[in-house]
Amino acid sequence: MNFCLVGLSHKTAPVEVREQLAFPEEQLADALRAVVGLPGVSEAFIVSTCNRVEILARAETDDGNIGPALARFLAESRRRELAEIERYLYEYRQRDAIRHLFRVASSLDSMVIGESQILGQVKTAYAVARACGALGGALEEVLTRSFSVAKQIRTETGIASSAVSVSYAAVELARRIFGSLDGRRILVVGAGKMSELAAKHLVGSGAAGIFVTNRTPERAAELAAALQGRAVPFEQLLEYAAQCDIIITSTAAPSFLLRKADVQRLLAERRNRPVFLIDIAVPRNIDPEANKLDNVFLYDIDDLQQVVNANLKERLREAQRGEQIAEQEVEKLLRRLKTLDVVPTIIDLRTRLEEIRAQELTRMSSQLSDLTPQQQEAIEALTRGMINKILHSPVSHLKTLAQQPDGLKLVETVRRIFNLKQ
Amino acid sequence: MQQLWLRVALALYSLGLLHSILTVVGRKQRVFRIALGAISLGAVFHLVALVEDGLATQHFPVTTLPEAASLAAFLLACWFLLVYWRYRFHSISVFVFPLVFVLTLTAAVDRGPYAELPLLRTAWLYIHVSLIILGYTALFLTFVAGVMYLILERELKSKKPRAFYHRLPPLETIDDLAYKSLTIGFPFITLGIVSGAFWASSVWGPSWPLDPKIALSFTTWLIYLSLVFARWSVGWRGRKAAYFAIAGFVAILVTWGTNSGLHSFVSP
Repeated sequence: MNFCLVGLSHKTAPVEVREQLAFPEEQLADALRAVVGLPGVSEAFIVSTCNRVEILARAETDDGNIGPALARFLAESRRRELAEIERYLYEYRQRDAIRHLFRVASSLDSMVIGESQILGQVKTAYAVARACGALGGALEEVLTRSFSVAKQIRTETGIASSAVSVSYAAVELARRIFGSLDGRRILVVGAGKMSELAAKHLVGSGAAGIFVTNRTPERAAELAAALQGRAVPFEQLLEYAAQCDIIITSTAAPSFLLRKADVQRLLAERRNRPVFLIDIAVPRNIDPEANKLDNVFLYDIDDLQQVVNANLKERLREAQRGEQIAEQEVEKLLRRLKTLDVVPTIIDLRTRLEEIRAQELTRMSSQLSDLTPQQQEAIEALTRGMINKILHSPVSHLKTLAQQPDGLKLVETVRRIFNLKQ
Repeated sequence: MQQLWLRVALALYSLGLLHSILTVVGRKQRVFRIALGAISLGAVFHLVALVEDGLATQHFPVTTLPEAASLAAFLLACWFLLVYWRYRFHSISVFVFPLVFVLTLTAAVDRGPYAELPLLRTAWLYIHVSLIILGYTALFLTFVAGVMYLILERELKSKKPRAFYHRLPPLETIDDLAYKSLTIGFPFITLGIVSGAFWASSVWGPSWPLDPKIALSFTTWLIYLSLVFARWSVGWRGRKAAYFAIAGFVAILVTWGTNSGLHSFVSP
């Protein structure tokens, strides 16, 4: 079994190159058929997203020509000169190709490690390849395995566990403080894009009521409508603030809207229940000194960015563990593919029947001992002949059918019904 | 002492201890399911051991230090399971499992000479000790919640999420646990101290408040009283409450450790 992967990604090629080499969805099936039509190629898979274009193929023999052939195909089908794109391409073979696919599917190779889109894209590409008959053998096995590996890495490591955007980081912090956001109230002061986004995420996570206020009441009403909240007068800011657990500020006010003393009063009114202040305005709307008060958690835009950066670093660390899992899974899959190869299966099948023959002969040996050597030889020959006759048809079918789609399943079935060890 | 079931429980608890160590050293949480099962099963065997022990000695097994330790370990395991069932958080196990193990270990190996003091063997003894142990174990949870609160609050305020950040439950949940365990533990120690006072005055006469352990437990009680009062009156919570919960438990430890004077369990 020979796998070969040729492609380019955000790591090797700038976007100008990637967008030229990407396959539009409607051309994907034709391209797959063309790859399978290349000499020596029996299965093919193409994943094409805005960050990568990769062709993965299985060839009958490993003569080292498949990689260049795939590269040439890529250049020709996108109408480029090979020499022009060659320096952006990478080529992986055998276990490296499988490992690369696993890394791509589990988002270890993504621009933002742990993002969840890529797995969906790989699955869609798989469906297309399967529908147009480009899969059906070991490559299909490799692809379906990549989905479960991706899932395993996602659940067993923290590569996707923390927020990597500022607005999600705000939601996550709110969860760290309040636990469930059910029934929490939010006050949005100022009508900026970022505060709207953060408020939207918070409402999406279960927050109950949302108040919006702005110096110009019309803008407040607009945003309130968009968030299905309530616009409140700007003069009553402090009154409403005391009712809210989360306050997001993003006004262009030149001085602090909430001074430390204001926050202190707010706390007293709330009987010290914690309050989460998100200040994404520059210059800041809330006195940073307020963070020193107990039960107040004040984050400005830089703080949120810092959390995002820390989370990204954490993802990188977790990715190391993901790499280990990918490596182990490649090893496991290769071992499995090996057992599903036809030749060892035929050998195992022969050995199994030969074992049975030997066992039966030993069992009968006491009754056979009276026979003459010639008669004993005849029995030897008779039993041997039976085994060969029985095996003839299964073996020849295995040899031919295993090359066809779903051949692996046939091999697996044979192994199972004859109880051949894995 | 019926040692067999207690030792089975101890062996199961040791899996919990192992989980705590693994959680602190590495980052693997996968053992938790096993540890949870082991602790639940351990608690069942522990209950069997307690019942058997009680039947064999013909009294509620709280008369000696190892017996008290055993009961405390059992109650802690139960509190933990209750808390887990209610809040679904694991991190508390890191604090609880080792203590459960150590207390059970004490109970399983300590056979030191304990005098049967007929003077002390009244119904008061069982009521007093049981109430105190119920209270102390509940207040241990308040203490753990206090420590967890301080760690998480510090990380949230410093704005640099670190190792513990993702492993601790939300701040409000921790605070809720602190408050609930306090409202359970405080009445128990109050009743425990009151019953102790009655008992002491009936046995030892008017000199009973001079006993160091009794004096210390009044101090402990005052710390918790102020915590409860501040919470009810002005909504005291968060960091200050956490400090008080920790101080209160330190006072408990000192009190528990002071076994001189009239509370001396060991025969002279």
